[in-house]
Amino acid sequence: MSDILLSGRGVTKKFRGLTAIDDVSFDIPHGAIYGLIGPNGAGKSTLFNLITGYHPLTSGSITFRGKVLGNMPIYRRNQLGLARAFQIAKPFPALTLAQNVRVGAMFGRPGDKNVERTTQEALDVTGIAHLAQRRAGELTVGDLRKLEIARAVATRPVLLLADEPCAGLNPTETEEMVRCLRAVRDAGTTVWLVEHDMKAVTNICDRIIVIDAGKKLAEGTPHEVVNNKEVIAAYLGTPVDDLPAHTP
Amino acid sequence: MTLFLQTTLNGLMLGGIYALAAVGFSLIFGVIGIVNLTHGVFVIAGAYLALLFYTELGLDPLLSMLPVGALLFAVGWIYQRTIIDWAISRASVEASLVVTFGMAMILRNLLQLWFGPDVQTITPFYSFFSVSVGPFRVDMVRLVALGSSMVLLLGLTLLLARTHFGRAMRAVAQQPLAAALSGLNVKRIHAMTFGVSAALAGASGAIIGIVQPFSAASEVAWTLNAFMVVVLGGVGSPAGALVGGLLLGLINSYTAQYFGPALTQAAMFLVLVLMLLLRPTGLLGNPYGESR
Amino acid sequence: MNRFVILLLTAVAALLVAMLPILLGPYYIRVLQTFFFFAGLGVAWNILGGYAGYWSFGHTVSIGIGAFTAAWLGLIFGAGSGPWSMILPVIAGALLSGLFALVIAYPLLRLRGTYFAIAMLGVSQVVAELVNNVSIFQGGIGVFLPSPVPSGMPVERFYYYIFAVVLSLLLLISWWVKRSRFGYALLAIREDEDTAMMLGVPTERYKMAAFVLSAVMVGLLGAIYGYSLGYFTTYSVFRLDWSLNMIVFCLIGGIGTLMGPVIGAALILFLTQVLLGGFLDLHLMITGALVVAVILVMPGGILRTRWRLPGRMPAREGAE
Repeated sequence: MSDILLSGRGVTKKFRGLTAIDDVSFDIPHGAIYGLIGPNGAGKSTLFNLITGYHPLTSGSITFRGKVLGNMPIYRRNQLGLARAFQIAKPFPALTLAQNVRVGAMFGRPGDKNVERTTQEALDVTGIAHLAQRRAGELTVGDLRKLEIARAVATRPVLLLADEPCAGLNPTETEEMVRCLRAVRDAGTTVWLVEHDMKAVTNICDRIIVIDAGKKLAEGTPHEVVNNKEVIAAYLGTPVDDLPAHTP
Repeated sequence: MTLFLQTTLNGLMLGGIYALAAVGFSLIFGVIGIVNLTHGVFVIAGAYLALLFYTELGLDPLLSMLPVGALLFAVGWIYQRTIIDWAISRASVEASLVVTFGMAMILRNLLQLWFGPDVQTITPFYSFFSVSVGPFRVDMVRLVALGSSMVLLLGLTLLLARTHFGRAMRAVAQQPLAAALSGLNVKRIHAMTFGVSAALAGASGAIIGIVQPFSAASEVAWTLNAFMVVVLGGVGSPAGALVGGLLLGLINSYTAQYFGPALTQAAMFLVLVLMLLLRPTGLLGNPYGESR
Repeated sequence: MNRFVILLLTAVAALLVAMLPILLGPYYIRVLQTFFFFAGLGVAWNILGGYAGYWSFGHTVSIGIGAFTAAWLGLIFGAGSGPWSMILPVIAGALLSGLFALVIAYPLLRLRGTYFAIAMLGVSQVVAELVNNVSIFQGGIGVFLPSPVPSGMPVERFYYYIFAVVLSLLLLISWWVKRSRFGYALLAIREDEDTAMMLGVPTERYKMAAFVLSAVMVGLLGAIYGYSLGYFTTYSVFRLDWSLNMIVFCLIGGIGTLMGPVIGAALILFLTQVLLGGFLDLHLMITGALVVAVILVMPGGILRTRWRLPGRMPAREGAE
C-alpha cells in the first residue's frame, strides 16, 4: 500500500462554461498536514466538493486509498475514511453536542464498535467534552468549529478535509484550533486544510498547495511557498518575512 | 395524421386554460415563496361564482370574469393579510403548506354545503357551436376560452413588466430582504400578489366552468394541475406558466386520445415526476432562482 | 421516568383497554375503535414525517391500497369467514402497500420538503382516480369484504380489540425504531440530510426503509378498516382529509415523539366526536379549522422540522 492517501490527476470541473477547476493534480501522503491556499474564488472549496463527491468531475480522476472515487456516493466516501469539516458549521441544532458527535460515531467508517468511546475521544481531542450536554444551537463560533471537527473525527476518518477552520476566530481560538488539528493528526488522521490565515498555515502545514483561478499555481514547503514570486503576486501581496518557524 | 393534429390542437387549447389556471400559483411561489394549496379552491370558487352570475343575472361567463376576478382579488388579499401572514410569522414558511391545505378543506366543505355535491357546467349560447377549419373541428367554447386566457396572460405580463407594482413584485421575488430595505412595503406586495393570483385563478375558473364539468371536489385536481404546470414550465413567470400549461394540455390530450381518459391524471403525474428528477427547475427555470 | 413505572403504566393501560368494552356502550366503543385507528395512522405517518422529516401529504394512498388489496384477494381466491380469514388478505394489503411505496420511493424520495409533500398528494390523487376509473379495480362500483367477526361477538368490540392490538404493535415498532441506530440515522436525516451523508449515513437506504415501513403500517390499518366497513368504494378509503388528519395528529401531539400522534389523535377525536358529535357533513371543515388553529395558536417551537426551500441543495461551499 503506497504512502499516498489521496491523489488527483487532471481534475477538471466546468460549470456551464465556467471552468472552476482546471487540470489540477495532487498527491496527499499519509500522516501529513497539507494546506490549500489561494485567493477567494480560486476554487479551493470546489476542489474539496469534488473530492467529497458533492459535484461530479468533468474530467480527470481522484483516487483515495487506492480506489478511484468516480461516482461513489457521498456517504460511501465517508465510510471509506474521507471526512469533511465545513467553514459554515452546520450542526444538528436540536441535538446536544454529544448527540451530534454520536451520529458520526454510529456511522462513518466501519471500525471500532464502541460508539460511546469514539464519541468521547472525538470530544476530547477537540477540547469540547465539557460542553457535551449543551444544545448545538447555543454555541460560539469557535466551539461550533470544534464541533464540526469533532463530528468529522468521530467518523474515524483516514483523511480529514477542513475548510477554513480558523476563519473568524480570534488569536486564542486560532491557537486552540491549531493544537486541535495537530492532535487529530497525531491520533492518526491525515489532514488537508484550506485556510487564509497564513500564520496558522505556515505553522501547522508540512506542505502547501496553492491554487489560483482553478489552476495549481505552486506546491512546496511553507518556506518555499511564501517566497514563491508567483504566489506573492497572485495572493500574498507582500513577501511574508515574520512568520513563526514551522513546527512539525 | 388528421387525428393526431386534431388531438394536438385540442391539447394546445386546453393547455392555454391550464396556463391561466396555474399562473397565479406560480406567482405566489415565485414572489412569496410558499406553495398555496388553497389555489384550486380559488379556481373552483371562480367557476361557481360565474355559474351564479349566469343563472341569477344572465351574465355571460366571459363578461363575469371581471366581477369574479375582482371579488377573488379581494378574497386573496384578505386571505394573505390575515391567515397566511399569521402562519408565516408565527410558525414558518413551511407551515403555510399545512395551513393552506387546511383552508382548502374548510372552503371546499363550504362550497359543497352551499352548492351541493353535484357536478355543474355553465352553458352559454355558444356552448355547442363549433367551427371547421379545413379538416379540423374547433369548439367555439374552447376557442373563446383559449383567447381569454391569452389575453389575461398578456395582461399579466404587461403588469409585471411595465407597472410599478409589477416591478415591485419582481424585486421582492428576487431579493426579499433588499427589497424591504429599499423601502418597498413587502407585506403589501405579498397581499397584491395573492390578490392577483386569486383573481386570475377565479377568472380561469369562469372559463373552466364553460369548458369542463366541475364540482367542489375538483379543487385538488386544479391545485395539482397548477403544481404540475409550474414544475414543467418553471416558476414565477407567465411565460413559464404558458409553456408548462401547453405541455400539460398536450399530455392530457394525447393520453386521453390514445390511452383512454381514465389515465390522463396518471400520465400527467408521471411526466411531472420525470421532470422533477431530470430538470427540477422546469423548462424555463426559475427567473428568481439565483437568490433563493 | 424509570423503566418500572413505564411498565406499570403500560400494564394498567392494557388492562383498562381490555376491560373497557364491557363497561361502555357501543357508541363509545366505536369512538375508541376510531381512536385506535387514527392513532395508528398518526404513529405510522410519524415514522416518515416526524422521525425522518419527510412530510407526506398523500399517505392516505396506503389506506386505499391496503383496503382494496384485501378485497381483491377475496374476489380472486374466494372469501372465507371468521376471524382467521382476515389474516392473509390483511397481510397482503400491508405488503402491497409497502411494495407500492418501494416502487415510488426511488423517484419521490429525491424530492425534498414541499416538493415531496405535494408529490405524495399527487400520488394519492392519481391512484385514487385510477382505482375509481379503471374498471378492473372496481373502485367505482365498490367492493365487498365478508365480516370476519366471530358469531356471538358484538361487531364493534371485535374491531375495538383488533385495532387496539394493532396500535400496540405499531407503537412497539415505533419505539424500537426511535431507540435504534436506524432511528438515529432518521434523526440525522431530518436535521440535516446533506450533513448526514457526509457523516457516512446511507441516507437513501434509510429513507426508503422509513417510507416503506410507514406504508406497510398504514396498509395494515387500511385493510382492517376495509373489513370494518364491509363494503366500500374508492373515496370511502382514499380519503383526502385523512392525509391531513395524520399530519395534524402529529403536529398537535408533538411531531417526532413516540406518543405525540396518540395524544393528537385523542384530542382531535375528542373535539370532533364527543364535542361536535353529529356534524358529519362538516368533518372536512372541522379538520381544516383545527389545522389552521393549531398552526396559528401553537408556538413555532412545536414544528421541529426545518425544510430548505424546495429543489435547491443548500450552499455549503466555503466563502469562495
